[in-house]
Amino acid sequence: MAKEKSDVLQGTLDMLVLRALQLEPMHGWGITERIEQWSEHVLQLGQGTLYPALYRLEQQDFIKSEWGVTDNNRRARYYSLTARGRRYLNESLAQWRRMSRAINLVIDATT
Amino acid sequence: MATLANLWRRLTGALGKTDQQALEERLDDEIRFHVEAQTEKNRRAGMTPAEARRQALIRFGGVEPMRERARDQFRSFRIEHLVNDIRYGLRSLRRHPAFSAMAVLSLAIGIGANAVIFGVVHAVLFRASPLVEPGTLVNIYETEGGQRFGPLSHPNIEDLRKGTSDVFSGIVASTFAFAPLDRDGTSAMVMGEAMTGGTFAILGVKPVLGRAIMPEDDVARGGHPVVMLGHGYWQRAFGGDPNVVGRTLRMGGRAYTIIGVAPANYYGGTAVLTPSFYVPMSMANELMGVDMLDQRDFHSFFAKARLSPNVTRAQAERVASLVADDLTRSRPEGWIVGRQFSLVPTADVQIAPGVDPLLQAAVWLLMVVVGLVLLLACTNLASFLLARALDRRQEVAVRRALGATRGALIRQLLVESGLLGLAGAAVGFVLALGLLRVLLSLDLPLPFGFRLDLHFGLDSKALFDWRVLALTVGAGLVAGGLLGLVPAVQGTRAADLGAALKAGSRGSDAPGPLRWRNALVVAQIAMSLVLLVGAGLFLRSWQQMLAVDPGFGRAPTSVLALWMPVSRSTPDDAAQLTRRVLERFRSLPGVEAAGLIYPLPLDFNSSFTEFTIDGHTPPSGRDTFRAENARVDAGFFDAVGMTIVAGRTFADSDRREGQPVAIISQAMAHRYWPNGDALGRIIRRPDPAEPDLMVIGVASDIKVRSLSESPRDVVYETYTQGPGSPMYDFIVRTTPGHAQISSTLIAAARDINSDLQVLQATTMAQHLAMSRLPSQMGAFMLSAFAAMAMALAAIGVYGLVRYTVARRSREVGIRMALGADAAGVARLLATHGLRLVLIGGAIGVVVSLIAARFIAKLLFGVGSFDPVALIAAPVVLGLAAWLAAYLPARRASRADPLAALRAD
Repeated sequence: MAKEKSDVLQGTLDMLVLRALQLEPMHGWGITERIEQWSEHVLQLGQGTLYPALYRLEQQDFIKSEWGVTDNNRRARYYSLTARGRRYLNESLAQWRRMSRAINLVIDATT
Repeated sequence: MATLANLWRRLTGALGKTDQQALEERLDDEIRFHVEAQTEKNRRAGMTPAEARRQALIRFGGVEPMRERARDQFRSFRIEHLVNDIRYGLRSLRRHPAFSAMAVLSLAIGIGANAVIFGVVHAVLFRASPLVEPGTLVNIYETEGGQRFGPLSHPNIEDLRKGTSDVFSGIVASTFAFAPLDRDGTSAMVMGEAMTGGTFAILGVKPVLGRAIMPEDDVARGGHPVVMLGHGYWQRAFGGDPNVVGRTLRMGGRAYTIIGVAPANYYGGTAVLTPSFYVPMSMANELMGVDMLDQRDFHSFFAKARLSPNVTRAQAERVASLVADDLTRSRPEGWIVGRQFSLVPTADVQIAPGVDPLLQAAVWLLMVVVGLVLLLACTNLASFLLARALDRRQEVAVRRALGATRGALIRQLLVESGLLGLAGAAVGFVLALGLLRVLLSLDLPLPFGFRLDLHFGLDSKALFDWRVLALTVGAGLVAGGLLGLVPAVQGTRAADLGAALKAGSRGSDAPGPLRWRNALVVAQIAMSLVLLVGAGLFLRSWQQMLAVDPGFGRAPTSVLALWMPVSRSTPDDAAQLTRRVLERFRSLPGVEAAGLIYPLPLDFNSSFTEFTIDGHTPPSGRDTFRAENARVDAGFFDAVGMTIVAGRTFADSDRREGQPVAIISQAMAHRYWPNGDALGRIIRRPDPAEPDLMVIGVASDIKVRSLSESPRDVVYETYTQGPGSPMYDFIVRTTPGHAQISSTLIAAARDINSDLQVLQATTMAQHLAMSRLPSQMGAFMLSAFAAMAMALAAIGVYGLVRYTVARRSREVGIRMALGADAAGVARLLATHGLRLVLIGGAIGVVVSLIAARFIAKLLFGVGSFDPVALIAAPVVLGLAAWLAAYLPARRASRADPLAALRAD
């Protein structure tokens, strides 16, 4: 089943979701849209993984959620970062940057 | 979709619609919003409304798996989850009552046996000590050569106290004190303790009521009649009256003022027999009617000492040994040259350093045995759970296919097996309470009527200790959890599930779990065979012990232990009184013969005397020989059925002023005078308090200390010649019609002198049963556990065969339809189970042969290779296993073949 694969990606998925929420609170659909947009349509989030991830992050107290109203007056669940989530995001980002820089160095090495 | 909804309703069926409902609504709302937002976007991109929605749904993916996972994430820490699983588990267990009952019963037997043994062992050996800072407390014993860790005499304790004040901040002594206690017009012997004043202060124990016995209570001999009650006696005799302080207790004809009550967890100086009362040490002589405080050879005191700060036990022991050296130099009367004092940390002593290893060995054996029983119960549970997992493969596969996560399923299965474990623990606890009640109500032939106290204050409360409860519940949970884990993990493995779905309702034959089950049954059979062989060996050992002739007491005989305060009279008066009692007994109707002895053979007491014999050299390193020593009267040998094989018995002419005489045992006569010329020889005794004796007779051999011993050297003296003893055992042989003569004897004794106290009234048969008690208990306990083990193994075999039969019912139907006869089919079905029994039996026999060596020391009269036990045990187990395998097989073979075929 696909579960094993998502386990590997889980850390990244969490980071992406938290990053999407970094600027402002957003609903689930907004998060998928924002990630798709930022990634120039490379990353298309499966909703089958998004909501479980959101619920898990909420359980872990990285995000909180409340009902809100969208621009065109529809009821939607808005997610926002908690202080803990913000800290966790910064740590993950720093780690990710170190990691990807290292990988790029390896890939681009010429000699 | 209907199935899923159905399943979901079942999962949540009885749950309160609170958080659960909110979660569902939230999920629904979010999904709807998400799909609508996507549809809107698609429509703006130019799709038709219908196409827009279709694409949005496709994009979203499978709704149900996502919902299931979202739920899991959301609720993974929620308690409702557990409640849910528990409800589902209970329902599932109810649906399979036979399976559940067998699993619970198996576990209950295992856990119950453990709870009761652990409860008793814990209550007796590991009870909480009220002593403060036990690390700085030591027990003091007298030690000499082979006799280690003996009790002390009071003068020795006083010398120690004087000589060790630098290393000990205090030494406390205690001794058993029996006192005739008058209450409500009746008099009864009660066991208490005399203790050094200030004992509680030094040990750090606080009385629960009033005050303890202080140093100022313990100054002048007989000067301060105060008494502190034991907690148990306070409860029994005074109903726990809080106003008991200030009242009086009449003991030995004197009124003692009650000053306080000891705490319930103080078991006295020795922690063996819990005393009913405590008096100051200075009252001991008066209360007991015998001078015990000033006799250096009266070794019946127990001592504890508190080490001074910064003093080690080794340092203290050196100082104590200096005291012993001084005594050896000055040789006061009664000091045995070469004696030493040894110090043992109080915390290391359970009952006495000499007894503890044996006790611990017995306890370990018991724990190992009940542990094995629990292990057997667990194998049964494991075996059942494996079978269940096989049967549930289809259910599991369907639920996985419908989107339940593997974690949720494993959790569900674990909760179910955990429930089984808890139920087993609960039933086991009830079983343990029943078992303990049976144990306590056993009328053990214990001496001195100490029934209540000898049970170590043990009652059903022993099981309500948190440690016992924790063990019980823990055993259940661990058994259920751990044993459930393997089948749960194995049974939910994704790779197997497709096959399970395809195989349809019959389920596939999964060789893995079945092999496990086979191995478990083999292990069970092997283990229970080991226990059965062990039980067989102990039973044989007990049988051998029953066959031992102790050399006395074959005819129906009453034994009356009488206590007379000799210090209140001269030795001659005491002898006179004793003679009158004997004469009165002999005159009673139904009495054939009467005699007396002290100490009684095969009792706790024993006594020895040291002597030299002309022409014989004592063993190297010693200046004297040793022999058992007892004081008897002329009629004793006839009364207990011994014979005088040479010479004569004592006579009235053997008086204090005359030549001191002795009768010796046949073994002793053979050892020193092999030519048969013992009569008239002299036994020389170096102790000035003991006169030289002339041998006037040789008596047949008897068992003195234990039934397993070889004949010992015994020197009998007559009570008319030595100093008086405060206690004698009167032996009264009766004609067959007068077996119940005890009360007549007691009345007759009281009639002669009201000061006489009856310590014990029993029969010789009971007395001999007492000496066989350890091996009898061992045999019975082990047999009981072996029977449990066998029952568990039989349940295991039964379960396996029944299960095999159920799985092969279609095959059976075909065979029957094709004309196979019922007996043949039954044989076929049982064969598999019986083959396992044979393998297990073979392993069991081998293991038994090895294990038997470890208990060889505890056996009497049987070798560890005992053909009777080794043949009987497998036969019994084989019969039980055959029945367990054959019954379900036969039932299946009698079933209607058409019904069997249709069943699938």
